[in-house]
Amino acid sequence: MQMPEPDQQIMARRDAICAALRQLVPAASVVSSAEGRRAYDADGLSAYRQLPLAVVLPETVEQIAAVMKYCHAEGIKVVPRGAGTSLSGGALPLADAVLLGLGKFNRILDIDYANRCVVAQPGVTNLAITHAVQDQGFYYAPDPSSQIACSVGGNVAENSGGVHCLKYGLTTNNLLGIELVTIEGEILRLGGKHLDAGDYDLMGVMTGSEGLLGIVSEVTLRILQKPATQRALLVGFDDTAAAATAVGDVIGAGIIPAGMEMMDGLAINAAEDFVHAGYPRDAAALIIVELDGPAVEVDALIERVAKIMDRAGASSLKVSTSEEERNLFWAGRKSAFPAVGRISPDYLCMDGTIPRRRLPDMMVLMATLSQKYGLRVANVFHAGDGNLHPLILFDANQPGELARAEDFGADILRGCVEMGGVLTGEHGVGVEKRDLMTIQFTEDDMKQQQRLKCAFDANHLLNPGKVFPHLHRCAELGRLHVHKGKMPFPDLPRF
Amino acid sequence: MPKINNLDEAAEAVLDAQQQKHRLELRGLGTKTGIGNQPVYDACLDVSAMQGIVDYQPEELVLTVRAGTTLSAVEAALDKANQMLAFEPADLSALLKSKSTGTIGGVLATNLSGPRRLTAGAARDFLLGFDAVSGRGERFKSGGRVMKNVTGYDLSKLICGSYGTLAVIDEVTIKTLPRPETSLSLLFESDDMASAVALIAGIFASPHEPGAAAILPQPVAAAAGIDLAADFVVVIRLEGIALSVDDRAGHLRGMGGTGGTVETVPQALSETLWRRIRDVDLLADHAGDIWKLSCPPASAPQIIAAIEPHFDMAFYADWAGGLLWLAGPSGADFGNALRAALTLHGGGHAQLMCDRGNSKQLIPALQPLPPAQASLSKRVKAAFDPLGVLNFGRMHDGI
Repeated sequence: MQMPEPDQQIMARRDAICAALRQLVPAASVVSSAEGRRAYDADGLSAYRQLPLAVVLPETVEQIAAVMKYCHAEGIKVVPRGAGTSLSGGALPLADAVLLGLGKFNRILDIDYANRCVVAQPGVTNLAITHAVQDQGFYYAPDPSSQIACSVGGNVAENSGGVHCLKYGLTTNNLLGIELVTIEGEILRLGGKHLDAGDYDLMGVMTGSEGLLGIVSEVTLRILQKPATQRALLVGFDDTAAAATAVGDVIGAGIIPAGMEMMDGLAINAAEDFVHAGYPRDAAALIIVELDGPAVEVDALIERVAKIMDRAGASSLKVSTSEEERNLFWAGRKSAFPAVGRISPDYLCMDGTIPRRRLPDMMVLMATLSQKYGLRVANVFHAGDGNLHPLILFDANQPGELARAEDFGADILRGCVEMGGVLTGEHGVGVEKRDLMTIQFTEDDMKQQQRLKCAFDANHLLNPGKVFPHLHRCAELGRLHVHKGKMPFPDLPRF
Repeated sequence: MPKINNLDEAAEAVLDAQQQKHRLELRGLGTKTGIGNQPVYDACLDVSAMQGIVDYQPEELVLTVRAGTTLSAVEAALDKANQMLAFEPADLSALLKSKSTGTIGGVLATNLSGPRRLTAGAARDFLLGFDAVSGRGERFKSGGRVMKNVTGYDLSKLICGSYGTLAVIDEVTIKTLPRPETSLSLLFESDDMASAVALIAGIFASPHEPGAAAILPQPVAAAAGIDLAADFVVVIRLEGIALSVDDRAGHLRGMGGTGGTVETVPQALSETLWRRIRDVDLLADHAGDIWKLSCPPASAPQIIAAIEPHFDMAFYADWAGGLLWLAGPSGADFGNALRAALTLHGGGHAQLMCDRGNSKQLIPALQPLPPAQASLSKRVKAAFDPLGVLNFGRMHDGI
């Protein structure tokens, strides 16, 4: 992975920069020692590591603004970091960049039941929001699998989803407001406790911008009342194509389950070995469907879904009759990653999305690629929305296997785009999929995205080297085409 | 008026306009030209010919359609598959005195959402991707045709509610949802706004899944054909399968509080009532301007209390109190008072939706932005449309 060439002049000024930062934040909030910085050298994509120039851990929004102002004035790059759980390298440090950690922003500021929202600092964990409001029966809907550790600020940066986003949406659909610090150190408030505004939806575009547009210093999140009942079905199929059809049939029948997950044979067996959830070992595909809502509704829909599954050719079907059993159904799915970790020294977790009807084609493609690369692949899917998580099994100690696994993964993602899907459903582009962006987007598509970046950060100081494979200078991006041999408005000043 | 059939022609038209130093007004069916500020333009560009459903896969919950397609054509196609646009776009034709409900592109450009916005999300939550030509005259696309996608910036959010100031859009991909099998409404009596808002908060703090919530003051309720004596009527809509709706209605009827009447409105009447709430039908006869105010739901009573004594006005609330539709005197005073009240009571946005005098010359239709946000928004505009070719000034000064 090629990162932008570090600026040697900035690196040479490291001590002076740390000293300057200590004037802006409490001295202990600047980490300059090598061992101190090492704790921040990677995020959840741990194959890539880099010591940052310095780590700064501000405590107030004014301190963030001061750090940003200083870095902007001095031309120093800034990499924002929440809890560091990104799976795509979004918080990977750069050798010549200040790593701005938001770990000290760990307070919930306002629980507002009358307006059904929570105002929190960005370093608060996802699950802590639910914990803060559950005694009143409320919860925060987006539930990425890392929710015990990941921060809500990071959720905004990555537009995190979860197993329930089919029904309840991603972060962007549950976010009411943010406070934002720009690279110039300006503090903006976007949205709030109201629903709509009459400006460009800058909050919407900040969501999922992977730390390239600004620092989120506060969030206002919508909270919902917990559904009265949750029940799940565990359905086995001998044939993946039939399972994929069954998923479409459920939605076609007008039912939006709270979650609809699918696993293939290898994942089923790995999970069963690990947690003994009672999964059908001989099934080619396993579907977990969860329904939530009032008890009478859940009971009625469970019956409807069971009929649909039956008609689609299910080979086994169980309905949860207790919370214990429902949790057991989920236990295998939720431990799929560590379970696969037990059957292989290493694995790569991919994250593409396809139109759901193409799932059988995707299974064929993966089987072909698996043979070609001589590597096994286990599959877990958020089947309801077509989001795939193939786990490519390899052994990093075997020379060349990591590279082969990476090539395998790239081919899968290429297949996703060819089938009408996208490179990443929820993990983000980061550094991991940066160089694959050209598969999905034309040069013009990406240039337009980067022009938006220029509106927020004209000097490319925020998290450079992420998301976009080629960095274009903003002045170059701003040039207009010469149309029919003439420049438009030749007398207008350009800057 | 030049009429374009595709994005190649759009690019040519935009580049020609740049060349001639012209600004363009983008026009679909022209039904929403009254919304927003008056743009500065030299010529119109008719985008209404870009019509037709490109791809619709009900089991995928995904519809790809050209932006000039009429909203009614889109809704008819979804209806056949028992699906809907869950954000429930309003038909403002009666209010705006326009001939039709306009195009899907116009709905997205104005981010118009109806009563279900409270629980299902706004238009901006349902746009998954689009193809466009920027004000630079260049083609680009963003997003995709799948529901879950975080590849690159989410420009769909930016395009929704941008009033055509950034790009000319053609194909848009929208997330669809199944239509609920049944629905009904419950009417609760309430003595004042504060207790109405509190009643709704209580209902939303229950697990009985209200889908929409409006507050109608007595005269508005009477105009809607509701025969209840209370000063305020709270309308709660429940949707879903019949078993569930009946069960939840049973639970909620018990939440009416101090002995006020609770009435049940059956499906057909309930649908009519919510259509009238959605389409601002209930204020259409008022002679004044119509304002739309988005505020924290719990602030609605204070905002009304601050305004009502000073103006000859009518109003009602949707979105559990978070959306106030108000009819008030033309001119700048009413809007200024609304914006001042908002600032004092939790913030939000007040927009002049229907100007029946010459109010727009006296007060901006969209709430002015704080300086830092205004300059960022201008830079965003310039990133797509550096010369200000598209709908210049429709949203804000210079945007």
